Amino acid sequence: MIELKKFSYWYPGTEQPALDRVSLSIAEGEFIGIVGANGAGKSTLCYALSGFVPHFYNGETEGQHTFNGQDMASLDLGQLAGQVGLVFQNPFNQISGARFTVREEIAFGLENLGLPQSEMRARIDEALELVNIQDLAERSPFSVSGGQQQRIAIASILAMQPRVLVLDEPTSQLDPDGTRDMFTALNKLVSTRKITVILAEHKLEWLATFCDRVIALGGGKLRAEGSPQAVLSSEQMLRLGVGRTQYSEAAARLLRTKQLPVTLEQAKKALK
Amino acid sequence: MNLRVEGVSFRYPSGVLALDGIDLAIPSGQLLAILGENGAGKTTLVKLFNGLLRPSQGKVYIGDWDSAEHTTAALARRVGFLFQNPDDQLFERTLAREVGYGPRNLGASEAEVKRRVARALKLVGLHDMAEAHPYDLPQPQRKLLALAATIAMDTPILVLDEPTIGQDEVGRGAISRILTDLHRMGRTLIMISHDMDFCAEHAQRMLVMLNGKIHVEGTTEDVMGQTKKLDEAEVAPPQLVRLAQALKMPGTPLTVDDFVDEYKQWRKKKKSK
Amino acid sequence: MRGGSIYIERSSGLHWLHPLTKVALTALCFASAAALPGLPWLLALFVGLLLPLAIWGRLTGAFLKACLLVVGPFVLSLTIIQGFFSGGETVLFKLGRFAFTQEGLLAGLTFAARLLVALGGTLLLMQSTPQPHLMQALTERGFPPRIAYVVLTAIQIFPSFQDRAQVIMDAQQARGLELQSGLLNRARLLLPMVGPLILGSVMDVSERAMALEARAFSSPARKTSLNTLADSLLQRAVRWLLALAAAALLLWRLWSALQ
Repeated sequence: MIELKKFSYWYPGTEQPALDRVSLSIAEGEFIGIVGANGAGKSTLCYALSGFVPHFYNGETEGQHTFNGQDMASLDLGQLAGQVGLVFQNPFNQISGARFTVREEIAFGLENLGLPQSEMRARIDEALELVNIQDLAERSPFSVSGGQQQRIAIASILAMQPRVLVLDEPTSQLDPDGTRDMFTALNKLVSTRKITVILAEHKLEWLATFCDRVIALGGGKLRAEGSPQAVLSSEQMLRLGVGRTQYSEAAARLLRTKQLPVTLEQAKKALK
Repeated sequence: MNLRVEGVSFRYPSGVLALDGIDLAIPSGQLLAILGENGAGKTTLVKLFNGLLRPSQGKVYIGDWDSAEHTTAALARRVGFLFQNPDDQLFERTLAREVGYGPRNLGASEAEVKRRVARALKLVGLHDMAEAHPYDLPQPQRKLLALAATIAMDTPILVLDEPTIGQDEVGRGAISRILTDLHRMGRTLIMISHDMDFCAEHAQRMLVMLNGKIHVEGTTEDVMGQTKKLDEAEVAPPQLVRLAQALKMPGTPLTVDDFVDEYKQWRKKKKSK
Repeated sequence: MRGGSIYIERSSGLHWLHPLTKVALTALCFASAAALPGLPWLLALFVGLLLPLAIWGRLTGAFLKACLLVVGPFVLSLTIIQGFFSGGETVLFKLGRFAFTQEGLLAGLTFAARLLVALGGTLLLMQSTPQPHLMQALTERGFPPRIAYVVLTAIQIFPSFQDRAQVIMDAQQARGLELQSGLLNRARLLLPMVGPLILGSVMDVSERAMALEARAFSSPARKTSLNTLADSLLQRAVRWLLALAAAALLLWRLWSALQ
């Protein structure tokens, strides 16, 4: 449903492309992980997949960039808002601040879309349930933890019923509890709603456990693509500054297999 | 320099008892990790070390100083503090000035400031950027800059709040190298972190907090082996320990080297049986 | 209290009134403050209208406390200034060569009472109405939603600004910055304190703007609201009456001034 063909992008006033001839095709219902060192182009790719490049950031593009067969440049953010959702690193910056309760906060985007009240209510209840924060509905979005705020941000986007959810390092400011809740919620979305989830993330063990496919970036270029195990266990991850899980590292010293384990389960099986 | 906490409790004005009867001695030169879930009291505890918070009860000694007798700015001669978010402190026009700000506050001579700035920037690998603006650096590197600013204060004790948060593998590697260097120089290092793999690899001792109390304390190997206690405090062991447990292998391997050795021995023993 | 708002959650008739009804009431308070001739009238309005409304809204304590906090300092300074400097015959006491007169005292108290009535009306409106509802009522009648958004976020985000200022102060103290009094020292604090606050906020702006776009803020659709603000024929009538009364008071005042 989203397609990049030899797509390059330059931020305004820069000479180095932030994305360099990236070709990528994303199908409906996939759970995709994006890895790469800081500055490798993860955020820019997230923006491109959600239409913020080229619609929010100006700058130059080259190559093809389509959403459901339509040229991304011909759509505008207002049209895309109900179809592609984007979630950021910092939970605090995503709370609109214009509403008093979590329920009203989630309604904010729906009010902007001009939905009737009955539909808003139904969608809000559904979104609260999807990320499991029903008990926060009447609280102030400013009175909850960072992890809860991040789930409110996701619920606010989900209520707009996008077909694609793009998340740019959503757990980087969260503690292990918050991270676990986030991945549980995302996994539920993919398995029960067939929503396409695209996630840029450093936490490899979590990515490997849940993703269908992993994309590795380096210097704005697509460097590897494939199953989490194939991509994340490869030695290339060390050169790209992505690193590997300690399961892979330990197994690399003990085993001679074609594909090293990446998760606990895989490592347990391989080393038994 | 050593650090002692004697019978300390701390209650926030809101009435929340954040620390409850803490006794703790951190000897000179130790690398200690403080673990625990959010709200367990980790940050409150370390804020007592430089007087940002004052105990409701009990005493905190920094070397031979009773912390109650000194302001935070005075305690800054002995305790350096790296905050979680570097953007809460950066304001100067260049990296060099930013790093020199602390030493200047402490009254170091210009020549001394210059020496310390050069050394600290070198240690974190930003010496080529000394005249750049702090905001020319991406956020993860600004954290390294804030770390350099803390190091330049030349304090015998350093407190680091979540040093690896938001860092990629390269950044974690840099911080790992810097901590190792500082440790070798004999500084006392205290870090709060949720990054278990990082803590297991670097810390000599660990302290796990739960509900304002010290839940477990001991050598890293000892603490990481106490599965039940860690579970109670909602602290997940690092990957290698979890793998060893899943394989029902004895021991608590903290580094890949440890794991490889222990695994080989275990296999050998199994075979000979 | 939520964010920087002074709204107090209660379940009361006053809270259920349509925000614009309360706005009309506040307008009447301002008109009365400007138009009513003397202290007795002003106090009568406060005791006879505002106080019962506060009781109805189950806000008595909070309302009186806020009035005292906001108006109290003015009462003190106004009576002192007016008492000494507005002249008059009846000298109550003397401080050196300055005489404190009864006429001056009365003038000061009257001025303070005008403030009390005007601010009292405003406080009652703010304490019984969530600001988002007030803004919704206004935007439904053509107030620009972008301005409403800015006002609302400013109110809500202010406390987090304060929190951040505290963290910055902690961070700089930990770098050896001594917090001392004195003008020169204060000036030395300014840059290390304000610098990070502003730089950090500037960094946040672009992410905030993107997050707003992700919530369809610039969607061309006609905006709707989750909650309907309850209104009634009676309230509409009352609103008109209040507005008319306010206008009448002002006209009457203007008329008598011209006479």
